Amino acid sequence: MFSFLFRRLLVLIPTYIGITLTAFVFIRVIPGDPILVMSGERSPSPEKYAELMHAFGFDQPLWKQYFDYVGNLLQGNFGDSIVTGRPVLEEFFELFPATVELAAFALFFALLIGIPAGIIAAVKRGTFYDHTLMTISLTGFSMPLFWWALLLIVFFSGYLGWTPVSGRISALYFFDTPTGFMLIDSWLSDEEGAFKSAVMHLILPAVALGTIPMATFARQSRSAMLETLGEDFIKTARAKGLSPFKVTVVHAFRNALIPIITVIGLSVGVLLGGAILTETIFSWPGIGKWMVDSIFRRDYPVVQGGLILIATIVIMVNLTVDVLYGIIDPRISKKGH
Amino acid sequence: MSVEAINNQPKQSALMAVLASFWFEFKQNRGAFYGLVFMGILLVCAVFADVISPYSEIEQYRDALKLPPVWVEGGTWAHIFGTDALGRDMLSRMIHGSRFSFYIGIIVIFICLTVGVMLGLIAAFNKGFIENCIMRLMDIILAFPSLLMALALVAILGPSLLNAMIAIAIVYIPHFVRLTRAQALSELGKDYVSSSKTMGASRSRLMFINVLPNCMAPLIVQATMSFSSAILDAAALGFLGMGAQAPTPEWGTMLADARQYIQSDPWMMGIPGLAILFTVLSINLIGDGLRDALDPKMKTSKT
Repeated sequence: MFSFLFRRLLVLIPTYIGITLTAFVFIRVIPGDPILVMSGERSPSPEKYAELMHAFGFDQPLWKQYFDYVGNLLQGNFGDSIVTGRPVLEEFFELFPATVELAAFALFFALLIGIPAGIIAAVKRGTFYDHTLMTISLTGFSMPLFWWALLLIVFFSGYLGWTPVSGRISALYFFDTPTGFMLIDSWLSDEEGAFKSAVMHLILPAVALGTIPMATFARQSRSAMLETLGEDFIKTARAKGLSPFKVTVVHAFRNALIPIITVIGLSVGVLLGGAILTETIFSWPGIGKWMVDSIFRRDYPVVQGGLILIATIVIMVNLTVDVLYGIIDPRISKKGH
Repeated sequence: MSVEAINNQPKQSALMAVLASFWFEFKQNRGAFYGLVFMGILLVCAVFADVISPYSEIEQYRDALKLPPVWVEGGTWAHIFGTDALGRDMLSRMIHGSRFSFYIGIIVIFICLTVGVMLGLIAAFNKGFIENCIMRLMDIILAFPSLLMALALVAILGPSLLNAMIAIAIVYIPHFVRLTRAQALSELGKDYVSSSKTMGASRSRLMFINVLPNCMAPLIVQATMSFSSAILDAAALGFLGMGAQAPTPEWGTMLADARQYIQSDPWMMGIPGLAILFTVLSINLIGDGLRDALDPKMKTSKT
């Protein structure tokens, strides 16, 4: 197990060098002079220009710039935002809980509906239930996320007036946010109705973001279940006279977990990508909106730092999934992929 | 010549038999069949857009702004799908927009298949350093969420539909590389490859004539699925203002334009959105059908 983990970590080193290199090159391949691009319409005076060149280290040789950059990263210095002047890492940690909250609830919603739907479809294969569930999930899978989010807003916020259109909480409430997770903070605060407001703000974006993963989970758990339901040990379990529920959930589902965990791991990338659209549409102040805004504002230090931080999350999740495989199926870690 | 002709004959009919059995399997799947019909209609729209569409797609009819579609009160048969905020005929814009769906899908798939398959085969045939370099490079691309990476790439290349397609293709290439490599590696261990090697086949012959055709089935399925994702991602980039630029009638860009009229004139947003949904759904249905027909092990619908 440990040598397996060690090998996986070792492979990460070249990947990580590549990721920092990608983010580093990013700012340098933009057509035109980065200083001119960053200073926008006002072109700086020659003195100011030289000063900026020096401040960003652009007057150094490229290899030295890269090593300085990585050196700073290793010390936790991701540079400062051009727009706000604040450290990139500080902004990231301030906004990250909002995205985690949104993504976690989207994932929860997706798992809660997707996996049972997939299991039911597999058990009732070829019936009306199967066809209906699979038609719905394929439609969800094909849904343009931004359009779906807008439809939800039109119906639930506009027509029914049930949920607010944007933000994380009503502007009526003021309270400290020690954890950054609005649900927890509003629960802890004494403000009446704050928690309800936070929940109402969260529902629609979470459903919008969770729809595509939900459809993926339903499809994947159906095919994984079909695969295991045909195996001999299931026939044995049935022959032993176990209840259908026990056969399905305890025997078949457990063995169908590997492909399901794979898609859950992969869906984290999907959720982070989808968060870009969802957060933009719902004005949700998380890292997805932060990245889009920074790309539009040409706030390159933020884009650079954000890319590295988001890639780190994706890599961490993939590593966790790999380790989970090893725990669920010891054969995998022994074989040493 | 004549010997070759005779040699080719059974090969031809064998291919026909494979295609016939494939079509038989594919036809069984009703969803895939309807998907194919929808895409066929869309293809006709795309090819004959100039002939079919009643108006020009960029002409602004100033006396008919934000006209609702014919089935809503106030709509007229003159503009069946209504007009947008600048008085452009929605139906004509939709018909012309269908071109971009094929354009996006075909270019992205072309780049992915050529570059991805090439890199995958090179990785499979050059174990060691070269393989490691290629696969680590793919890991790096995969470490970024695809839409974010595409967005960042378009920011570098400059917002346009072509750059959006290139960015999307780059983001999808790793999937093709991994798939090709895995498939080629499993083929390389088989007897027909070693016997071909013994007969003195060159490396490029092994790659393209022996191994590649046997890797095609999963690649075709992957290409179909990427076709639909490419349309979704290009629409998302267009929606964010980083894809096709106005007045191009690309469906995602049209949605972005319609967004400010979401409450007052919801159909303006509904029509392009539904079109994207149906197109992507049809391609995914075809993809499912292809997978069932090409790979009996992966059957999802029937057994």
